[in-house]
Amino acid sequence: MENAELLQLAIAGLKNGSIYALLALGFTIVYAATNVINFAQGEFFMLGGMFAVFAFKTLGLPLIAAVPLAVVAVTGVGVLFEVLAIRPRRDGDQMSLVIITVGGSLVLSSLARHLFGSDALPLPEFTPGPSLAFAGAAIERQTLWIWGLVLIAVVALTMLYSRTRLGRAMRACMQNREAARLMGIDTGRVVMISFALAAMLGALAGVAVTPLTSTRFDIGAGIAVKGFAAAILGGLGNPIAAVAGGLLLGLIEQAVIPFSSTLKDVVAIVVLLSVLFVRPQGLFIRERKEKT
Amino acid sequence: MSMLSVRGLTRRFGGLTAVDNVSFDVYEGTIHAIIGPNGAGKSTAFNLLTGFDTPDAGEVRFEGTRVTGLRPHRVTRLGIARTFQNTQLFDSMSVLENVLVGTHWHTKTGFLRAALHLPGVRAEERDSRELARHHLRLVSLEHLADVPARDLPHGQRRLLEIARALATRPRLLLLDEPAAGLNSAETGQLAGTLYRIRDMGVTIVIVEHDMGLVMDVSDEVMVLNEGAKIAEGPPRLIQKDPAVIEAYLGGDGGA
Amino acid sequence: MGRRHPTRSRVMAHAGLVAGIVLLALPLVLGDLYLVRIFTLVGINLVMVTGLSLLFGYAGQISLGHAAFFGLGAYTSGFLTRLGWPWVAGLLAGVLVAAAGGLLLALPSLRLKGHYLAMATLGFGEIALFFFTEAESLTGGSDGLREIPAAAIGGFSFDTPTLKYALVWATAALVLLLAANVVRLRPGRALRAIHGSELGAQACGIDTVRIKTQVFVISAGLAGLAGVLYAHYIGFVSPSTFTLNLSLILVAMVALGGMGSLSGAVAGTVLLTLLPYADAIIPGLSRDTVAFLQDWESDIHGLVLILVMLFMPGGIAGLGRQLAVRLRRTSRTAEGGAS
Repeated sequence: MENAELLQLAIAGLKNGSIYALLALGFTIVYAATNVINFAQGEFFMLGGMFAVFAFKTLGLPLIAAVPLAVVAVTGVGVLFEVLAIRPRRDGDQMSLVIITVGGSLVLSSLARHLFGSDALPLPEFTPGPSLAFAGAAIERQTLWIWGLVLIAVVALTMLYSRTRLGRAMRACMQNREAARLMGIDTGRVVMISFALAAMLGALAGVAVTPLTSTRFDIGAGIAVKGFAAAILGGLGNPIAAVAGGLLLGLIEQAVIPFSSTLKDVVAIVVLLSVLFVRPQGLFIRERKEKT
Repeated sequence: MSMLSVRGLTRRFGGLTAVDNVSFDVYEGTIHAIIGPNGAGKSTAFNLLTGFDTPDAGEVRFEGTRVTGLRPHRVTRLGIARTFQNTQLFDSMSVLENVLVGTHWHTKTGFLRAALHLPGVRAEERDSRELARHHLRLVSLEHLADVPARDLPHGQRRLLEIARALATRPRLLLLDEPAAGLNSAETGQLAGTLYRIRDMGVTIVIVEHDMGLVMDVSDEVMVLNEGAKIAEGPPRLIQKDPAVIEAYLGGDGGA
Repeated sequence: MGRRHPTRSRVMAHAGLVAGIVLLALPLVLGDLYLVRIFTLVGINLVMVTGLSLLFGYAGQISLGHAAFFGLGAYTSGFLTRLGWPWVAGLLAGVLVAAAGGLLLALPSLRLKGHYLAMATLGFGEIALFFFTEAESLTGGSDGLREIPAAAIGGFSFDTPTLKYALVWATAALVLLLAANVVRLRPGRALRAIHGSELGAQACGIDTVRIKTQVFVISAGLAGLAGVLYAHYIGFVSPSTFTLNLSLILVAMVALGGMGSLSGAVAGTVLLTLLPYADAIIPGLSRDTVAFLQDWESDIHGLVLILVMLFMPGGIAGLGRQLAVRLRRTSRTAEGGAS
């Protein structure tokens, strides 16, 4: 294969991969705070695109206002979901919480259908224009937006974790929730903020990618599986590993395309199952024996 | 020959050596206590003896059979039963049903036999129930047979777990802090129950903090500190052992 | 008291049985084909939910991919009978293929805990759906398999709605009866023990991996059986039936009924299956109400999952038990007052 072709595939892989990375971060953040996989994570992604389309088309706002508004609104949905559905059972068993998030996923996607209909909805590119040429390959402008936004999100998140009191509290919860509680950390607040952050990251990914793919009420579950595959590939519970897992998954998907393009959609699931079965702690995390 | 022989048992967690090259023997018909300050490795040792954890080095043999490396249910089937520091009861099931699960491995009704209600199923069920009631009587819980396990107070939960362990027909019974959370009257009754179990021919290893109970019931005491064995012998000698006094008081003196 | 208890529950069971038979005969007596059709679907779902109840409700092992096993059963039997295999052979093959699929998934997954198992089964469901859509030579692709013959035993064909209804419900009743035997005896206790405390179960000498694998395979096989019934009842299968949505509805049925209760699962199945056809049961229900229920079906399923977990973790069965306790208490005070 030509180098330029390879590069083109790599660009596509890193584009999708950075979207998966954001979703994987969302999974990781909620998992760190609650020990639960949030099955509604994909719906935040879907809602991000939906709200942006609504603000842009129906409300007639300019993109520069519609996009941040959508992200903020979805963040609100995340908080609402936590307060209404998670908080009352926060100390419940893992199974109940998992089922609650599954229910949340169903409710959010169905509500989106009632509100926005069942058609695929497009959104214009943030900065329309021809693709940029790079070493024989083409990069869509929107791809640069995606990379930029992902980079900002990751940097901001890193700052949050390393520089702020809240971040330290979240890290403490990640290490050991019980100990964090005993140290006087308000773990309830950490859980709520984790859902807010996860929703925000999901929405950001959704908004950024909708101009390329359009959005529909039922895309949440599919993208959630990919984001989760990325999170589990990297190692659930570690933000850096989640980003690495996302990028890697994006590249693996592209690597399959030359052999079979129909298979691309199941690559993530195959990766997910293989990692779960062979190395459930992820590629980048050293095995840690759970205490009985 | 000893019933349970432990040689060079070692378990590390990261940099911490929870159990450090521990060897000891348990003889049939005795009550053998393992004591030590918090974090001395007692519960880890229990997990290593029962297949819930795998040692990094060392070996456990029960009546000559190698126990290390076996999965927990295989260990139970060799004749070693245990209770847990945090009781592991089946909360949604009745007290009687909890003990019935203890009879599980020496009964044989599987999915197919149960579904088709083949001949013999009814008789086996009846026998199991009778046996389970017998074990409940041993710990004086028979009158609560139909109560959900989750409704039992703390002390009775510990007793139920002992009854369930006995229902597996062990020859060796490992009890992890059976007196924790019991009041003095309950602890007194527990001592009686332990004697009764021993007199049935079941050898007992007990991890316990209650020194009164330990000194009272045990024939042999082993003391762990920071994962290592620092003393063993009959209770009277252990009480006077300078290393033991140091381990227990040293912790207090340092604080 | 220990004696009176089983007798009373036996009386209750017999009463339930009689009520069930009367209810089941009703659509036939009334000759209402719409009712017959809907209740056939209830019967098919019951077979599937009985299996999921053993796995999820009793053993506490969640599966978000049961639609896959339903599909494996439906496609296998549909494919083979179209080739001219007798229905009984198709049935056996369908159940076996679904059970084999269950085994394939169970062996690696059952070491996984709660949410990992949920994700693994969800992933398996998606892969199965992909296979149903893409393996056109076997499954007919997105067009599906058409003209699947009706069930037939020997020369006797179950080709009228009434006969299909009878076949489905005979199967469902048999499956329920067998499952009821399982749950009240030794294997059922092992399942509940695993749910209650896996460590405790292992300490009792239970090979938890083996039991979990067994129940997963049984559960998948029952879903396959339901798939066979479905394929030969509708006569047509296509991928759009075997989606994640279906898997989630099944979970909602078990959860609504209550964990660890077969009768609860039956109630949950009946309620949620009838939901979009409420007009068939409740006479005089307006067309708008029915349309609303159909349109908001998924929202209702999602809400059921959330609300049950939040406010009635025991499900319908839990409510029933509370009611029974309260009734017993009032009757006891009444007795006490009389003497």
